[in-house]
Amino acid sequence: MPKSQFIDPSEVRKAGEITFNPIPVNQYNKTVEEEKANFSNEDLLRIYRDMVVIREFETMLNLIKIRGDYNGIAYDHPGPAHLSIGQEAAAVGMAYTLGVEDFIFGSHRSHGEILAKGLSAIAKLSDEQLMQVMESHFDGITFAPVKNGHSGTVKELAIKFLIYGTLAEIFARETGFNKGLGGSMHAFFTPFGVYPNNAIVGGSGDIAVGAALYKKVNRKSGIVVANIGDASMACGPVWEGLAFATMDQFNELWEGDMKGGLPLIINIMNNQYGMGGQTCGETMGYNIAARIGAGVNADQLHAERVDGYNPLAVIDAYKRKRIILEEKRGPVLLDVLTYRYSGHSPSDASSYRSKEEVEAWEAQDSIAWFGRELVKAGVATEDQLTGIKGDTISLMESSMKLAIDDKVSPRMDMAKYPNLIGEMMFSNESVDRMEDRTPDVNHPMAENARVQQLAKKERFAFDENGKAHSKIKTYAYRDGIFEAIVDRFYKDPTLIAYGEENRDWGGAFAVYRGLTEALPYHRLFNSPISEASIVGTAIGYAMCGGRVIPEIMYCDFLGRCGDQVFNQLPKWQAMSGNVIKMPVVLRVSVGSKYGAQHSQDWTALTAQIPGLKVVFPATPYDAKGLMNAALQGTDPVIFFESQRLYDIGEQFHKGGVPEGYYEIAIGEPDIKREGKDVTILTIGATLYRALEAADILQEKYGMSAEVIDARSLSPFNYELVLASVKKTGRIIISGDASSRGSFMKEMAQTISELAFDDLDAPPVVVGSRNWITPAYELEDSFFPCAEWMIDAIHEKIVPLKGHVVKNNFTSAEQIRRNKLGV
Amino acid sequence: MAIPVIMPRQGQSVETCILGEWVKKKGDAVKVGDILFSYETDKASFEEDAKADGILLDIFFAEGDEVPVLVNVAVIGAAGESVDEFRPGGQAVPLAETVAASEVVVEKLIAPEVKTVAEPTGKVKISPRAKNLAEKSGVAYQQLQGSGPEGRIIERDIEAAAQVLPKLTPLAQEKAKAEGLKAGEAATGLGGKAIAKDLISYNPVYSDDFEVKKLTNMRKLIAKAMHTSLQNSAQLTHHMSADARTIMALRKKYKKALDAGQISQNITINDLVCFAVIKALKKFPQVNTHFIGDSMRWFKKVHLGLAVDTDRGLMVPAIKNADDLSLEGLSGQMQSIAGQCRKGNVSPELLAPEAATFTISNLGNYGVEMFTPVINIPQTAILGVCTIVPRPKDLGDGVYGFVPMMGLSLTYDHQALDGGEATLFLREIKEQIENLEI
Repeated sequence: MPKSQFIDPSEVRKAGEITFNPIPVNQYNKTVEEEKANFSNEDLLRIYRDMVVIREFETMLNLIKIRGDYNGIAYDHPGPAHLSIGQEAAAVGMAYTLGVEDFIFGSHRSHGEILAKGLSAIAKLSDEQLMQVMESHFDGITFAPVKNGHSGTVKELAIKFLIYGTLAEIFARETGFNKGLGGSMHAFFTPFGVYPNNAIVGGSGDIAVGAALYKKVNRKSGIVVANIGDASMACGPVWEGLAFATMDQFNELWEGDMKGGLPLIINIMNNQYGMGGQTCGETMGYNIAARIGAGVNADQLHAERVDGYNPLAVIDAYKRKRIILEEKRGPVLLDVLTYRYSGHSPSDASSYRSKEEVEAWEAQDSIAWFGRELVKAGVATEDQLTGIKGDTISLMESSMKLAIDDKVSPRMDMAKYPNLIGEMMFSNESVDRMEDRTPDVNHPMAENARVQQLAKKERFAFDENGKAHSKIKTYAYRDGIFEAIVDRFYKDPTLIAYGEENRDWGGAFAVYRGLTEALPYHRLFNSPISEASIVGTAIGYAMCGGRVIPEIMYCDFLGRCGDQVFNQLPKWQAMSGNVIKMPVVLRVSVGSKYGAQHSQDWTALTAQIPGLKVVFPATPYDAKGLMNAALQGTDPVIFFESQRLYDIGEQFHKGGVPEGYYEIAIGEPDIKREGKDVTILTIGATLYRALEAADILQEKYGMSAEVIDARSLSPFNYELVLASVKKTGRIIISGDASSRGSFMKEMAQTISELAFDDLDAPPVVVGSRNWITPAYELEDSFFPCAEWMIDAIHEKIVPLKGHVVKNNFTSAEQIRRNKLGV
Repeated sequence: MAIPVIMPRQGQSVETCILGEWVKKKGDAVKVGDILFSYETDKASFEEDAKADGILLDIFFAEGDEVPVLVNVAVIGAAGESVDEFRPGGQAVPLAETVAASEVVVEKLIAPEVKTVAEPTGKVKISPRAKNLAEKSGVAYQQLQGSGPEGRIIERDIEAAAQVLPKLTPLAQEKAKAEGLKAGEAATGLGGKAIAKDLISYNPVYSDDFEVKKLTNMRKLIAKAMHTSLQNSAQLTHHMSADARTIMALRKKYKKALDAGQISQNITINDLVCFAVIKALKKFPQVNTHFIGDSMRWFKKVHLGLAVDTDRGLMVPAIKNADDLSLEGLSGQMQSIAGQCRKGNVSPELLAPEAATFTISNLGNYGVEMFTPVINIPQTAILGVCTIVPRPKDLGDGVYGFVPMMGLSLTYDHQALDGGEATLFLREIKEQIENLEI
């Protein structure tokens, strides 16, 4: 909502109509003879060879799956194999013109795209560059098996490397491109510009947008291609990615060289089936997928359907579309028509299509047709083509033998190194800046109005007499977050931040106030109201090497980006064998006062997912220190904040919040008040209610409570808590999440296990009720408060003399509530 | 608003008071300063006056009841007000905040309360932490009553118990009990607990120059009975001696008759003494009693307990209805039952302390001049009969001579009898012995 844009009622209320330009369908009509002017014979033969390599690779996998052997070499592959036999021309056509610096993203059916892009990159890289790539990938571990005894050219060696690395990856070998941790549906190889393929349908639909954003914002050459299936056009996150990719602001508000569209091609690999569902005629309504472009922006995404059975038609389209991207008029939508003969997977009985249909497409098989055309045009002889096929079969046989040899291609030795996968879950690096150059900013940090204002604030909540400073003078929780973020913006040129209302508004909770003035649009902007794309694009941005702070305004919106937070963000570091880093700090604000869909603490959902770091600071000092640590790291961090706390001053850290840079290690809880009789462990904003409870316990019952603020959920160092329980023998765990299945329960269980002999009573969880969050006026009966904590201690841990309970914490009530599920 | 009247606490150690007399009755109008009731502690009597004007709406305890301190005993208020909330054992008593605050302080000063249950019932509920602490501090927790939720024994229960119970490891506890050892100054176990090897014999000078022999069951029973007796009654002993010339003459007479075959029963000095005591008992029925705490059993008949020394230890069989017997009958029964004791075939019923109403223990044969016999509770007294020694005595008319005097030691339970009564009874025995007529 920039003020520079005036919405003129008399303009927008005028009558008129929306017109569309015709969307081209299969317009390419050149013959090989005609194209000889644009391609050398070698080029054309390479196109043919690349298609043959893909066909043979997929045929090999098909035979292994169906018969358990390929050309007499027996092997059992229990994992998935989603094959693309029939789609070779589309893959090779897509990849042929792409440079090494152009990135492709794919789907679960992307073996062909990996090989096509790999072969394309090999053709473009020099021998020295290839040797460097092969020798440096995992220090030559993938390279070693193919290097042995090789007698041909470097390019031939690189092709062997590509086939072997992909196959070993599919067979879960440690020598695979991703140490066998990605597998068939996720294999990729970034040095050749092959970025993650995604087993979630449409998973690349927003991630690739983030990669294009990275290219643009960081002025990197190259374009990004999102290879997604025709059926993925039904997925919400794909549409969200499209919305994000076509924001007007790229042209209307971004300035200077940043003005203009994203270098992105949405490449629909349209094999006309989504598993068994026929997208044209059954499960979708677009009829021709290219039609979608018309609805997305005025450029209609420069959409076009291309005949994916003719590699030259696809190459032609890519040559034309690249010009559009170079003119910053992207993104582009291509609907590349193709067909797969193979089933969705080996278990597919093709019950959804007729034999005649498959045979009709096989009769027009792109490889056979293209071979005939090459012979017809005098580019190649039949013998040459037969030779290519023979060489390819030998290549597959030798690669397979290597890839299935347990000595040459071992799997990860989990018996010997049981923590191997555990060590890959996080990269745990400490990096000031992801790239070394001067950050784009509008003015020096010292000139920023917010920074100047903060310099005058009181950095501790109370004066020397213990009296609270006025709210306006107090350095608050939101200031702690701001200070860490603004500092990083001036340190790391790749850092960007976005989300809903992040720019002019300053964030819904005023954390970013002042940043709008400090940063150009491309580093801080408003996103569409589209959480899947906010998080999904951040993942793509980070994968490519940037640091990013996406924000979703309310924790309750986590469901809107479920796949991104649960399947994508946490997985790619480990699935890449630690090739990829994921420096994403996802800011999530936990609400209150706003009822059932705006007041939920869903920390457990994220903490349950392996691969995420989860923090929830409750004080300005912790907020700044943890944000600094999160931004210094290279791992995805879910950074929970609380709307109850944005105004609160620092009440614990002596001397207040330091002005300089400091980090608080993620995973370390903190004692906010020492005590000896009972421990209260809190998550998030309940800290302050626990302190109230501690006061009451002291004053009324002579009990001293030790209050520990968890600060982090995962990782979490239990040692401090265990030491406290050893001392007190009693613990309650409190947080604002509904108690059932909460992270408090996880903590209670872990403490029971680790401190059993020290416990004088079971750890007791005091969380919110398992209800909808009611209106603000009724919140006292929903969220835990000091009174609940004392009642719980009295009922379950140690009866307090003279205490009269007001809330029912008895076992019978607990059983009853569970029986009812409330 | 109605206010409760509590049983005041007169001193830190007072837990309960006896409600003496209600001066006001339920329904009476009372004014500030009116005496409501009297009550007594173990040391003194007090009166409680009204702290408010109003109607004495209800009283919760009767005269003579033992009332825990600080518990509500009555309610003063306006007519028609509810008193249920003040009824002890009903809803919790709301205390004014100042009271609550001072109570916390008080609680810290007094020794922690340790409650035990007589027998552990079923599974003992104890927290892991408390169990650990119990083991480390050598507290036998099985009989503690837990103060945690649902009666669970929690850490504080063990801490309290550890203050009043010896700090021994469980093994050391066993060993100490079995071998009569106790913890020495060195404690080498965890948390400063004495372990088995730290235990020493009662007198360290003797080192291990002794042999430990397990007690026989008989010994254990006697030990327990004797210990219980001294623990549970207020015993003291009066000594007196009786001129034995009369019964010595009687003894001589019966001996002659036995030798002459005129009688078949050998009448001993002891038989004669017992016969005399039975007569005295008939005159002092308050001694022919059992003391059972809040009341006493007054027996119509005399069931005489007789201490019999046997190889296996002391036995005290009862001669039932001894006051119905002639001297010969008494002598015969005593001889026969003593024989049964020594043979071990006496009826266990007769050995129960409750079987006798009074006991005589005669150590005269052994030359004992004076002793303090231990009462066979619940009996209220026991007579020790001592040896006969010649003592100077005024024979009349300023003539002194040596007279055989028999020592008598009467131990009685001061709970049941006062000193005067006991003295008079002992004097009666003396009289009976000195003037015995058959």
